[in-house]
Amino acid sequence: MAFDVMLRQLAEGMLGSVLIFALTLIFSLPLGLLVALGRMSKNKILSGFIGLLISVLRGTPLMLQLLVVYFFPYYLFGWSISGWRFPAIIVGFSINYAAYFAEIYRSGIEAVPKGQWEAAQILGYSKSQTFMRIILPQVIKIILPAITNEIITLVKDTSLAFSLSYMEMFTIAKQIAASNTTFTPFVVSAVFYYVFNLLVAFVMRHFEKKLSYY
Amino acid sequence: MYYVELKNVEKSFDDLEVLKGISVSVAEGEVVSIIGPSGSGKSTLLRIATLLETMDKGELYYMGEAAATMGPDNRTVYEKPVKIKELKKDFGLVFQNFNLFPHKSVLNNIIEAPVHVQKRDKKEVIAEARELLKKMGLEDKEDYYPSQLSGGQQQRVAIARALALNPKVLYFDEPTSALDPELTGEVLKVIKALAEQKMTMVIVTHEMEFARNISDRVIFMDKGVIACEGTPEEVFNSDNTRMQEFLGKLQR
Amino acid sequence: MKLFKKITCGLLMVACAAALMTGCGLKGTKTFTVGFDAEYPPYGYMDDNGEYTGFDLELAEEVCKLQGWELKKQPIAWDSKDNELNSGSIDCIWNGFTINGREDDYTWSVPYVDNSQVIVVNVDSGIVNFAGLAGKTVGVQTASAALSVLTDDEGQKALAATFGKLQEFGDYNTAFVELEAGSIDALAMDIGVAQYQIKGRGDEFIILDEKLNAEQYGVGFKKGNEELRDKINKSLKELKANGKFDELAKKYNLSDMTCLE
Repeated sequence: MAFDVMLRQLAEGMLGSVLIFALTLIFSLPLGLLVALGRMSKNKILSGFIGLLISVLRGTPLMLQLLVVYFFPYYLFGWSISGWRFPAIIVGFSINYAAYFAEIYRSGIEAVPKGQWEAAQILGYSKSQTFMRIILPQVIKIILPAITNEIITLVKDTSLAFSLSYMEMFTIAKQIAASNTTFTPFVVSAVFYYVFNLLVAFVMRHFEKKLSYY
Repeated sequence: MYYVELKNVEKSFDDLEVLKGISVSVAEGEVVSIIGPSGSGKSTLLRIATLLETMDKGELYYMGEAAATMGPDNRTVYEKPVKIKELKKDFGLVFQNFNLFPHKSVLNNIIEAPVHVQKRDKKEVIAEARELLKKMGLEDKEDYYPSQLSGGQQQRVAIARALALNPKVLYFDEPTSALDPELTGEVLKVIKALAEQKMTMVIVTHEMEFARNISDRVIFMDKGVIACEGTPEEVFNSDNTRMQEFLGKLQR
Repeated sequence: MKLFKKITCGLLMVACAAALMTGCGLKGTKTFTVGFDAEYPPYGYMDDNGEYTGFDLELAEEVCKLQGWELKKQPIAWDSKDNELNSGSIDCIWNGFTINGREDDYTWSVPYVDNSQVIVVNVDSGIVNFAGLAGKTVGVQTASAALSVLTDDEGQKALAATFGKLQEFGDYNTAFVELEAGSIDALAMDIGVAQYQIKGRGDEFIILDEKLNAEQYGVGFKKGNEELRDKINKSLKELKANGKFDELAKKYNLSDMTCLE
């Protein structure tokens, strides 16, 4: 295979990886916040249940979770799962990452002094106003480095989508390697991942700088 | 009519009785200082008055309106959240640790609540806020962030933030305890100025000289009860043994 | 709690939008979805233009032409092939798929390739027969037919017992590099795959003359799906009759291995 064809193939695969990456972030970042709030709920049943969920999601391999999400509608209900492949990948990734993000959010929320809540309460803020206007902006600054770590891991984790036969970059690299009996595509894909993560690190550093005004 | 009225307040944390039936009323323009040793319950009383904490028994009124009354089962019943929200507009609180919002500039700390909670016109609020900052001697600091200010400056911003909501009663919870000694003066000066303008205030403090000079009335609390109450002269010269012990310890 | 609701609501809306976007792939013609391992040349792999091709895929293409179907080539993770087939994600497994040992697990088409499992070694390894494998490390692909043969009592389990170690691997590329580097001494695999790999890598490797077994390839359908099986059988026979099958076998160097009658 000519080198430019290989590059094109891998770039197309990269697009698939980026799509998983972007959609996972779009869903898991807010979902993680929701899960964190549930985890910190005063309702013992809700917080206990979510605590268990987080522990399972963090304690089992993502690849296994992807398989479960994709195949369970068929095995449990006998539903047809045609067309469910890509959504299943996004659901699986989002749920898994939401569990990790939830714990990061929780640590961030708990790191904001109680006095901030009280000050807002005295000034007449409602609970949700306090959270959105006072607490969350401070939480984001606190947790940004931890979030950056997870995001970089996510870039590399996208290759797990192959367990659901999704053609992301690393899968394609393996296929080209197989048909051409060469390791070159792996080197190329390593460069792709690295450049992508450089970009991620650059963007996150920009955010951190923007938030360092106080 | 009293601006704020607390009646027979009782409060326990687990088995520890912190307040054992305290009644305090504050009239318009009155400056009341609450003094007493640590653990006497004065901070808890303040937190109950500002609705940060609930009481077990007792009643609370603002401007004659009930926030909490005694229920049929001899326990305090609080009004509905709508009513409570309304009554919260009557008072402000200045914290020991300032509790300014670190991610907002000085000006934004002050205008946040009037604009976003009271939904007032932003331009008007900003003009008022600048006026307040000037009174606090901080007119050149409006774009600073709290972390760039000294403790004394931060506490003055916190006072401005509380005043921006035009409260009828202003509470202070040991406003100078977190400050270096050389910075307490600037804060006390601001509070004194407010007293001269007949601002109704309740001040929990360890600054005895200050309490003596500024207050219309001093309340000495000890072990969950009011041990001694009256004009500064009456309290500081009282022959109440607990009061004498307390003053003696401070002077040593 | 309001905040809770707001976030939930937003998430649901985005999810609905995503569901709508994926739901617009409906077409009139029947699609025939073939599951294959895209790392299995010459039966299924990615060609120089980045397209999926191979003997089996071209054969499937011809069958679809006869039936008026649209072919969908679905590369699958080999470990998940049964889940993919049973859940209906794919219509069949068509990919150098060994019948022997799996007779009762799938509904099978007629066999079309005579395959055997062989052992590949380095030219200069000094290993010339199965006896030479005693104490050696032998690589075999996870979930492959070669692995079944080497672990089955009726197969070559006794031979495998003489190996120093049976090392499972994921893909042939890595396996061949390990063989070349000497971290494994021999590889067990299908003869067709072995020939393709050796062709692509030069003559540093040889196939031992002794064979682990003789077996046949077929198309695997979900157990009980005889209707689809019959259609494919009919088309395969037509392709044999009109010479297309032999033409493809020749193209992929498999002529002396076909067994379709």
